[in-house]
Amino acid sequence: MATINIVDLQKNYGPVPAVKGINLSVEDGELIVLVGPSGCGKSTLLRMVAGLESVTSGRIEIAGRDVVKAEPAERDIAMVFQNYALYPHMTVRGNLEYGLKNRGTPRAEIDRRVQEAADILEIGPLLDRKPRQLSGGQRQRVAMGRAIVREPAAFLFDEPLSNLDAKLRVQMRVEIRKLQRRLKTTSLYVTHDQLEAMTLADRLVVMNGGLVEQIGTPTDVYDRPATLFVAGFIGSPPMNLVPLSAFSGADFSALPPNTDIVGIRPDALLLERPEGPSVMIEAIAELLEPIGGESHLHVKLTGSNQSMVLSIQGRPHVDEGAALTIFARPADLHPFNSATGRRTDDPATA
Amino acid sequence: MIENRPVLAFLTHLVLIVGVVIVVFPVYLAFVASTHGSGDFMRGLVPLLPGPHLIENYSFMLNEGISSAGAPPLWIMLLNSLVMAISIAVGKIIISILSAYAIVFFRFPFRMVAFWIIFITLMLPVEVRIIPTFKVVADLGMLNSYPGLIIPLIASATATFLFRQFFLTVPDELMEAARVDGAGAMKFFRDILLPLSRTNIAALFVILFIYGWVQYLWPLLVTTDSRYYTIVMGIKRLAATADSEPQWNFVMAAVMLAMLPPVLVVIFMQRLFVKGLVETEK
Amino acid sequence: MQAKRTTFPNKFLPYWLLVPQLAVTLIFFIWPAVQALKSSFEREDPFGFKTTFVWFENYRRLLIDPMYVGSLGKTAVFAFSVTALSMSLSLILAVAVNRVLRSNRAYTTLLVWPYAVAPVVVGILWWFMFNPTIGIAPYLLRGMGIDWNHRVDGNQAMIFVVMAASWKQISYNFLFFVAGLQSVPQSQIEAAAIDGAGPFKRFWTIVFPLLAPTTFFLLIVNINYAMFDTFGIIDATTQGGPAQATNILVYKVYTDGFLGLNIGSSSAQSVILMIIVIALTAIQFRYVERRIQY
Repeated sequence: MATINIVDLQKNYGPVPAVKGINLSVEDGELIVLVGPSGCGKSTLLRMVAGLESVTSGRIEIAGRDVVKAEPAERDIAMVFQNYALYPHMTVRGNLEYGLKNRGTPRAEIDRRVQEAADILEIGPLLDRKPRQLSGGQRQRVAMGRAIVREPAAFLFDEPLSNLDAKLRVQMRVEIRKLQRRLKTTSLYVTHDQLEAMTLADRLVVMNGGLVEQIGTPTDVYDRPATLFVAGFIGSPPMNLVPLSAFSGADFSALPPNTDIVGIRPDALLLERPEGPSVMIEAIAELLEPIGGESHLHVKLTGSNQSMVLSIQGRPHVDEGAALTIFARPADLHPFNSATGRRTDDPATA
Repeated sequence: MIENRPVLAFLTHLVLIVGVVIVVFPVYLAFVASTHGSGDFMRGLVPLLPGPHLIENYSFMLNEGISSAGAPPLWIMLLNSLVMAISIAVGKIIISILSAYAIVFFRFPFRMVAFWIIFITLMLPVEVRIIPTFKVVADLGMLNSYPGLIIPLIASATATFLFRQFFLTVPDELMEAARVDGAGAMKFFRDILLPLSRTNIAALFVILFIYGWVQYLWPLLVTTDSRYYTIVMGIKRLAATADSEPQWNFVMAAVMLAMLPPVLVVIFMQRLFVKGLVETEK
Repeated sequence: MQAKRTTFPNKFLPYWLLVPQLAVTLIFFIWPAVQALKSSFEREDPFGFKTTFVWFENYRRLLIDPMYVGSLGKTAVFAFSVTALSMSLSLILAVAVNRVLRSNRAYTTLLVWPYAVAPVVVGILWWFMFNPTIGIAPYLLRGMGIDWNHRVDGNQAMIFVVMAASWKQISYNFLFFVAGLQSVPQSQIEAAAIDGAGPFKRFWTIVFPLLAPTTFFLLIVNINYAMFDTFGIIDATTQGGPAQATNILVYKVYTDGFLGLNIGSSSAQSVILMIIVIALTAIQFRYVERRIQY
């Protein structure tokens, strides 16, 4: 059972803490995505699991074994790097074989695995080329092939798509997902792109400043962000986070008592009254951005400097400068307390 | 090249041609002299056009030499020079690449101390420490031997720095991928780092070969047995006979032979040579 | 100091890797240097039985010795002349070769090969040319009314070795000047042309200042070369004469030490030379760090 268990993992660079005590359990076959802004510690965490970074304290268990003292090669993991890290002087085949040769795998087995990986990734015709003759997408596939032939307990991905152009990135994302589902290998994936995280993950780990903000499925994290940070990080355009004091006249009495900030997703703000209970917000339209099938409407709350963004289907006719009434269902309101940064309607941590 | 001024273009070529003449003329004279007979210099004037004795002179010098000047046949000296130059080049490369590898890819106590010790060699050329180094070599019984010619010249800071600089440009991820792939430190060195260093090694070889070939003071001090003379150092003995005029045609034949190998190396490996020169001085 | 972000975990391997270089360095560089330092503070009696510690006596004697001070002066003149002559000639050639597009490679090949010629061989070549008896140069000079005999005339001897030493360095300086010229941004030259500057003005006001890093670097290298690598040239031509006219410091160390067997004085001279090298190297490295910014 290739589970990964991270217990109280900490990493300090001298006196400076980079990772401040992380706990995470990864089930066999899961694809866990570590996501967060630059410097949040996600790469450091991944590299500690890989054995490329030393651990200040804590345990890392891969397939039940504590590997904190083990060399990367002994941890039964394979890694896909952001810059592919292909050996430039070897052919594609050489790159794929290197790890297996070092482990003394018999020739026949090496050939079998290389062929299988080549078939899965459709890089068969490239086997005798050198990396410099390949395109970015091809190189990325070879990098993944190198990981696949090892048949490890876990895959570790370190922002593998960041160097690709946008279109290629979308395509490769789908391929990675399908591949992982097919091979059922436990995977840890690091990215700073929240969209990538949402589409790939079985579960997300949102990190910030060396700490875990929230762990959950993409739906969980989207529907119920546990902290202000997660609320503002996940979703595009980002959730509107507005202090209660900026609203004049709207009735937020149904919210829990500690609440001083409320979050509303742009697509949860409506221009017409919905059925059932709703909250009314007065605002003035500032800018309308049509984006093809939908439009982004920037408004300013009446009586305050606070702005919000609405995401509306189609192309509504709204004049800039017009006074509007905006509606939101109570269920779509996310209450937070700015001092703790956490949700106020969470029975565990209010 | 902005304006098109034919006068300037003509001047430019003139300057270059004059430069080439200045550079080539001494050697041309030497070559001409080496093809003449022994008596041709008695008239007190140096010939300006090649003579007929080319093969004769060269084969004489190669096979017999001028024993009255205390120099052995040239082929022995050429061989010594070749052995010395190649060994120094190879030796320096091996030692420096290992040291650079240690300093860049490992962390260990006294790492900086090692770096500075190596750095110090830059400030201690042979000319500055001749007598004590000679004494050490003599005490170790290494006079009149190949090791004595080679080993004291083998520690080089420039080569180490060149490799260090190059290693610093190797992406971290390459080494990390290799570690994940089960390669230990020496395996990584052999399978990945060395192949990547090929051009640097070649460029350095050119520069170091020349360095080893042109050594004069050190072989002068360390060899008294003419069997170990290098050609560069032996030549001077040919040219500096105290009592009579040296036999210039033979001396110049020797001079041409002494110049030939490194010059050929520079001309045929010019790109590597330039790269080596520029890289080692950064 | 920079190291990789990840390093190998081996504890003892790095030491093994360093042993060859450190061993040779300690045995053949550092230990002798220490010995030289030690001997420079001692005097050996004529029979070699006793050595006494004499503090700075050797240094004091050197600095009041007119021959040593003379040597210092000669070395300075020599170094300065070689540097100036060699660098100016190579600069002209580099500028010229930069303007020529098609025959560039050919000219370059023809101009760089002297780098491979040993200094002592350079000395022999020039000695052959300037030999008072059969040399072609004295012959031509006699035709112009100049009597050339550098064996007798000290000034002529100095001019002679300066020319020979400069000749050898032309190719090295040439290469670096060419590289330096090529790194001058074309856009700046073009802007100057649009601003109405002719080729000579452009060179002096734009190119030459931008070449300053290369020039400074070559200055140091050339001084170093003139002071240390020219041993062979002196030995093959004038042997420091006539009458000490070309007895530069590095040659004097050799004659006093090996030929004169005055260990104390020679060691002191070596130490002084070491100090000069250290100073030059320090300047060079301090400077190389700053070379990046302009």
